[in-house]
Amino acid sequence: MVKLRARCLLVGDAAVGKSALSHVFHSDGTLFQKNYSMTTGVELLVKCVNIPETSDSVELYITDSAGKETLVEACEKMWGEPSLLCLVFDLTSEQSFANCSRWMERVRGHVQGLQVPGVLVGNKSDLSARREVQTAVAQDWAQSQGLDYHETSAREMENCDAPLLSLARTFQSLYQERLENIQNLSPG
Amino acid sequence: MTDSSPSSLGAKVVVASSSDESHPPENIIDGNTQTFWMSTGLFPQEFIIRFPEPTSISAVTVDSHNVKQLRIEKNTSQNASQFEFVTEKDFEHTEGHLQSNTLSLDGSSAIHLRFIITTGYDYFVSVHRVTVQI
Repeated sequence: MVKLRARCLLVGDAAVGKSALSHVFHSDGTLFQKNYSMTTGVELLVKCVNIPETSDSVELYITDSAGKETLVEACEKMWGEPSLLCLVFDLTSEQSFANCSRWMERVRGHVQGLQVPGVLVGNKSDLSARREVQTAVAQDWAQSQGLDYHETSAREMENCDAPLLSLARTFQSLYQERLENIQNLSPG
Repeated sequence: MTDSSPSSLGAKVVVASSSDESHPPENIIDGNTQTFWMSTGLFPQEFIIRFPEPTSISAVTVDSHNVKQLRIEKNTSQNASQFEFVTEKDFEHTEGHLQSNTLSLDGSSAIHLRFIITTGYDYFVSVHRVTVQI
């Protein structure tokens, strides 16, 4: 049995629903903030996730960082060295999807060459009439960046657990993999 | 000058910032590089070794993996608090074998030695053995 700890960086354009998503996840689907209040700094949410079929758990330090362009630079100073990445865009905004490449670039500057496990999340899947980004397109781009793709609706509380659960699971397998490696090392 | 495992001197690990039941911190001081303590995510990570009495230590050797920087602090108090800085070293990255680094402590007397791993080359680091030269 082991409790792992990971810092999960939550980024993406302003108003795509990062905070809504993290609150729904953090509250196990009991809290959706109906009124929009822009995150202007970095909000930290801690949530412990049990990994199914193991006795292991991952404590996620979710770093919800402001998406607004003018605030990003100040927030980046508080990103630290993320272990996991959750990149969110709004399915009803082509622009928020296009900006994902810039977010990836920013994040790469903080991970010191490590391959950080990440997910791409298309949020607001409930607004199907206003959808501007097709699943296949998002999925292709996610794959090209080495990210898993998920669609969620924070408002309908649909699928909100999936992205962070999959990240926690990936982190746990990473630990097991490293553990095996270390057991095969020879003395210095 | 002799190389001793801390446990043979009656020392114990009294604090460790990570715990995997299968790889407990006691593995650091048992003199065996086959057993190890593993960190379970995020930095800094630390562990504290307590000696049964004030002990003059000329150097420590640390066998580890993926440690990028190690800082050592000490005190001569019965409590694991109020540490003073002793030394700091950047470790080289190794592939396929352990890092082995010796840090000079200049014979300073200590009851507690605090090892702080400030950063690593990977998400997780392991410490396999600490030996002291007294």
